[in-house]
Amino acid sequence: MSREVPLHELIGRTVRDPDGRTVGRIEELRAEIRLQEQGNEYVVSEFHVGSFGAIETLAGPSLARLLLRRLRFISYRHHRIPWDRLDLADPRNPRALDTLEQLRARHAD
Amino acid sequence: MNDGLDLRHDVQDAQLKDRNRENIGRCDSLVLELRDGSPPRVAAMLIGGAVRRERVGRWMATLGRLLPGARNSASAVSRIPFDAVRSIGTTIEVDVLRDDLPSEHLERWLAKHVVCRIPGADQKQESKT
Amino acid sequence: MKKWGEVALGVVTSIGGFLEVGSIATSVQGGAQFGFQLVWALALGTVCLAVLMEMTGRLAAVSGRSYVDLLREHLGIRFFIIPFVAVLVPGFLVLVSELGGVAIGLQMATGIAFRWWAIPVALVAWALLWRGTFGLVEQGTALLGLASVIFLVGALKLHPHWSAVGAGLVPSAPSRDHAKYWYLVVSILGASISPYLYLFYSAGALEDGWTIEYLGVNRVTAGVGNLFGGGLAIMVLVCAAMVFLPRRIEVDAYEQIALVLATPLGRTGFAFFLITLCITCFGATAEISLAGAYLFAQGLGWPWSENMRPSADSRFASTYSLLLLLAAIPIALGADPLKLTNISMVLSAASLPVTVIPLLVLMNDERIMTSHANGWLGNTALVLIALLSIVLFLAAVPLQMLGG
Repeated sequence: MSREVPLHELIGRTVRDPDGRTVGRIEELRAEIRLQEQGNEYVVSEFHVGSFGAIETLAGPSLARLLLRRLRFISYRHHRIPWDRLDLADPRNPRALDTLEQLRARHAD
Repeated sequence: MNDGLDLRHDVQDAQLKDRNRENIGRCDSLVLELRDGSPPRVAAMLIGGAVRRERVGRWMATLGRLLPGARNSASAVSRIPFDAVRSIGTTIEVDVLRDDLPSEHLERWLAKHVVCRIPGADQKQESKT
Repeated sequence: MKKWGEVALGVVTSIGGFLEVGSIATSVQGGAQFGFQLVWALALGTVCLAVLMEMTGRLAAVSGRSYVDLLREHLGIRFFIIPFVAVLVPGFLVLVSELGGVAIGLQMATGIAFRWWAIPVALVAWALLWRGTFGLVEQGTALLGLASVIFLVGALKLHPHWSAVGAGLVPSAPSRDHAKYWYLVVSILGASISPYLYLFYSAGALEDGWTIEYLGVNRVTAGVGNLFGGGLAIMVLVCAAMVFLPRRIEVDAYEQIALVLATPLGRTGFAFFLITLCITCFGATAEISLAGAYLFAQGLGWPWSENMRPSADSRFASTYSLLLLLAAIPIALGADPLKLTNISMVLSAASLPVTVIPLLVLMNDERIMTSHANGWLGNTALVLIALLSIVLFLAAVPLQMLGG
């Protein structure tokens, strides 16, 4: 079973944890090359999800985020979620399989 | 990690070049194949006005459909399988030929029916190259 | 040694290419209304332009990519639309104004109404772009544009109190007509800091094959070239101040503007005014059409170069051709070139934030700029310019209505 989704429909989507809390927005997808017999293919290894904490709802689209990240005094947290820890059954509503606490714990190491 | 690729930063909107290093547009969208039990695969790149309009917003996509020649617009999207990519740097070189791409239709049509009908289209006064 | 030749050429090109209908019209109106009081606005505009040009030039030389190219990649198509439209719309109006400037100059020279000159001028500009290379377009028009040195001659002949001119470098509040004063400030800044100028410069750096070795050339061309160019614009203001202010003449037609040189230099001055007006506006016409084509081509990934034959970059060539044709229409229909010029300058000023603010991000991105990213001085200057651009954006429309 496979479906196709354009990248731009994933970028900017809000990611929630199993409890429905906002983790952040998908800002980037990291892909890696995987060697196969038929030829190499690129597969997504991680989803980079960024959160501006309290002002996350204001920091909507990409340009504002780009600028806000330059301002050091605004808190910004960055999660790298492995491909198998994000549920994309509904690409418009990505669900992290770990809770916010679990994600933050991983982020801390 | 060295083979790692940031899809939005390095691929989306990047300049694409064909086998002869000629510009063939930009990667207007990347198609991902979501698979159960396997990581999502980077399947293809899309080039075309219809794709761009969709990215700008639904209003622009609707506007595009109302334009004359809208039917042509949808079929003028080039889908390039990602395994045709030869190198990724400041530009992405792809193993295709410009003339084979539907999204280059306008360029060919203009060259043939408009530009070449005007004198001087094939020369430049002092060729520096 | 060869580099110094390029530096000299670059400086000369900047001087000859600096004046165009916008800077002439706004400097004349500024001088006629407020004497030397607005010299500071010209100076400020010139410095801002020099900084922005140096940066977009450095961006192109270091990364090998133009500003438009990087804008599309960094903003993505969705947000690229914003600067795209913000540059295209005022830019197109400026193009119409420049074409109008040439047409008016020819009207004054021949007596034939400017409407009839619209299409011929557009055709000649088109032919230049169709058959000429980038070097020919850029340097040819700018070298001829050195005729604008006549404004320096005129200013000297009028014997202004140079200390009073210098005093004008310090911003001062007007004693009357506040709305008009600030409206002219915005117009002058918009004429000096037109986005198409630094976008064109960035693309031009690539056309000329600039690399990291050209950073010094870039700095001198952008800095010194604009310094002298701005100085010439100040001379235009000085002439207008000496000729119009004492006589309380309100300038609202191009025919009056010619007095600026006709008064001190007689018939020779008048002839030179016409020559300068036609040449500088013609150069700007060619430049803006090209800038528009670069905007489309680089933003959408088409093949492009003014050095390529048109059949090799059909969409690029068709774009500048179409822009020229469309720009000729309002002039052919009789639109008032001076009114158009004033509106286009204010719109240019208002559109600045969307092309200045992204520079803040790009000039600090080490992946693009490597070791040549902005230092604290560059960033401070850029932040100040960004703040100025936001003020201009907010003030432009109200001032157009109150003082325009």
